[in-house]
Amino acid sequence: MDDMEDDTTIFSTLKSFKSFISCPDRSLLETEPAFGRSGLQNLYTKRVELEEAAERVRSHTSLLQLTQEKQQMELSHKRARIELEKEANSSSRDLQREIDRNRELLLQIRHLKEREEKANQELNEQVENNKALKRNFEELHKKANEKDSKLSYSSISMMCGTLRDVRNTGIKYQVSEKKRKIEKRMLNLYFTSRNSLICALLPLMCAVHLQELERRLALQEQDSVIVKNMKSEVARLPELEREIKRLREENTFLRETKENNSLLREETEGLRRKLERVERVMEEKLKVELEKEKLEHELQAWENIGQSTGLNIRKPEDLSREVIQIQQRELNLKQQNYTLNSSIRSVEKTRTELMPEIAQLRAKAQEEQKKRENQDSLVRRLQKRVLLLTKERDGMRAILESYDSELAASEYSPQLMLRVKEAEDMLRKVQTHNTEMETQLSKAQEEAGTFKLQAQMVSVCVCFFRQKIEELEAERQQLEEQNNILEMRLERHNLQGDYDPVKTKVVHLQMNPTSIAKQQRTEEVEQLRVECQRLRDRLRKIEADGVMTTDDTTLIIPPSQEILNLRKQMESAELKNQRLKEVFQKKIQEFRTACYVLTGYQIDITVENQYRLTSVYAEHMEDSLLFKSTGSVGSGSMQLLETDFSRTLTGLVDLHLFHQKSIPVFLSAVTIELFSHQTVT
Amino acid sequence: MSKTLKGITLKGSAELVAEFFSFGINSILYQRGIYPAETFTRVTQYDMSLHLTTDAKLKNYLTNVISQLKASFVIFVAEWLFDCTVQKLVVVITSPQTNEVLERWQFDIDCDKTAKESGAPREKSIKAIQEEIRSVIRQITATVTFLPLLETACAFDLLIYTDKDLEVPEQWEESGPQLIDQSEEVRLRSFTTSIHKVNSMVAYKRTNSM
Repeated sequence: MDDMEDDTTIFSTLKSFKSFISCPDRSLLETEPAFGRSGLQNLYTKRVELEEAAERVRSHTSLLQLTQEKQQMELSHKRARIELEKEANSSSRDLQREIDRNRELLLQIRHLKEREEKANQELNEQVENNKALKRNFEELHKKANEKDSKLSYSSISMMCGTLRDVRNTGIKYQVSEKKRKIEKRMLNLYFTSRNSLICALLPLMCAVHLQELERRLALQEQDSVIVKNMKSEVARLPELEREIKRLREENTFLRETKENNSLLREETEGLRRKLERVERVMEEKLKVELEKEKLEHELQAWENIGQSTGLNIRKPEDLSREVIQIQQRELNLKQQNYTLNSSIRSVEKTRTELMPEIAQLRAKAQEEQKKRENQDSLVRRLQKRVLLLTKERDGMRAILESYDSELAASEYSPQLMLRVKEAEDMLRKVQTHNTEMETQLSKAQEEAGTFKLQAQMVSVCVCFFRQKIEELEAERQQLEEQNNILEMRLERHNLQGDYDPVKTKVVHLQMNPTSIAKQQRTEEVEQLRVECQRLRDRLRKIEADGVMTTDDTTLIIPPSQEILNLRKQMESAELKNQRLKEVFQKKIQEFRTACYVLTGYQIDITVENQYRLTSVYAEHMEDSLLFKSTGSVGSGSMQLLETDFSRTLTGLVDLHLFHQKSIPVFLSAVTIELFSHQTVT
Repeated sequence: MSKTLKGITLKGSAELVAEFFSFGINSILYQRGIYPAETFTRVTQYDMSLHLTTDAKLKNYLTNVISQLKASFVIFVAEWLFDCTVQKLVVVITSPQTNEVLERWQFDIDCDKTAKESGAPREKSIKAIQEEIRSVIRQITATVTFLPLLETACAFDLLIYTDKDLEVPEQWEESGPQLIDQSEEVRLRSFTTSIHKVNSMVAYKRTNSM
């Protein structure tokens, strides 16, 4: 586009240049005759100018080109910059991604290293454990071996020792036997040699020799015994060797079995763990299967949706798409609905607006129709007329022609003329009659129309009047009802005695029985009030000063003599009472003190029928005995009630009350005891 | 009591009506126990036995009122019945304690004014009029059966409804209509002398029975 624009500018400049060139040509041509001498100069100057202009144009174009190039360069620069920026962004993003990946990988590496270390550690530990176990095992093995070897060695050594011993002994025995043999020979020799010689020494030497031999025999017998034992023991040796072998074999077997055991145990442990894992896996599998079933069901349901709705649904995306489509359809339909509603409303409005117009138009149409009908009827009539006229005309013509034709034959013209005239007159009459009839008819029709209108109007009026009549009837009924009600009310008021104050008034005698009765009543009331007041005053006065007889209120009755006497008597009685009380008090006090002093007990009546005795010699203030009087009042039978003090006197209680059943003795015993306590302490 | 044998004049009619009133009021007073029964005597009137009070004061009062009603030609200006100026006569029974109206016996008097002008007597026999009066008084006696008891000692008053512009003599004063609050009304028979028509009715205080 820019190029195009630039081209257009170039073209426009070229055009201007050409025009410029052309104009000066013209001007040159025009001005040539004026400037004749300086034509060449002018031409030169003009050329120069033109060249300058051309240069200018060239420079301009070059400038334009340069600007264009510059713009292009700028555009390309921009593009390049944008692309570079994009690349930079993408590269930065890649870089970011790489960095993140790097970080993740580093993390993973760290995790793995840690795991490796842990594994190594575990491995080392395991190895160490293994080593330890191995060492233990080796030690044990060594110990076993040692033990075995010891056992074997010891047994063997024992065996060897015994064998050696046995052998030694055997050898010794052999040696000794040889020796004996030798010695026996020697002896024999000795005997033989020395039998003779040493017959004398024989018994001694023999005896000595016998002793020695006996000794040696004993020794040899011992040795033989030992040798026998050794033999038996040696005989046992192969058995022992066999046993050793067996034991060794057993040992190896046991070791193997031990190894196998441990292996088996490890295996079992491994298997148990596997079993657990497998069980867990089985449970998970069950769960997963259940889930799978559920999901399958759901999937089935979803797939069934596809089938049930009849739409091509295989994935949820399809379903969502369908839903979106349905929603869109709904929206569209709603929009359509709204548009339709609005259009309906507008249409209704226009309809309602057009209705009256339509009515008007219909009325007009009807009128027009009527007019048309009238016109049609008129036309028909006219046509009929025309037909009749034409027929008449034809008839006339035919007659005329016949007459004409006949005229040529005969001369009946005046008669014909007369007849024609008569016919024409007749025709005119008929025509006028016709017109008259027609006018009458039209008039009649008009009148009929007017009558119809009148009848319509009348019927309308009749309807209107009927309505009015009905309304008036209803009003009349209402008014009748109201009238009745009002009459009843009036009657009622009349019965009650109401009157119209404007026209009537009510008079009565002033001195009428009611007023007299009222007066009397008020007087009575007044009298009663006065009397009441009087009586009240009297009563108050009586209550107030009942004692004082001499009072100057004339209304109060002076107190009678009886009252005075009674009052005096009352006073004297009160005084007597008072004195008696004092005397009783004194006497009682005296008596009580005497009792206390003489018996040594203070007797108080605490509660009805209960007597509390406090001793003179009581150690504490609270020490008291409680007696309760049982039986009738004057019988005097008493019972001792439990008190703290009585608990301390159980002995006395038992003795005097339970056995002896005497309260005075008990009391005196208590007094004596207390006294003794007092005097001692 | 001047009775014309030939017919009824206005004066005669007035007399008849006044007579009726006197006996009627007496009957009411006796029947309703306004005054003790022993203060009444029996007289015969209208072919029946009626009660008439012996109490002097009462008699005086009644004659006062009724004579006023009668309106003698000479003395009083108010020739009420004669002038056809009286519209109603009301016997009001009140309780003096509470000052409330317990019963109202109202007699409306319609006077045919044309009788005055014409002056010619009307054709109606005394007998017929008396019959009618008798039936009215009988009815008054009968109404006692359904009227509520007057428990307290009551007093009565006679009110006269007249034209507004009538001049009343001194002893007479204007009063209120003394209507009953919450009344039941019963219309009784009427009688006519062909000049005067008297409608009777009784209104009594509605008893708020439980």
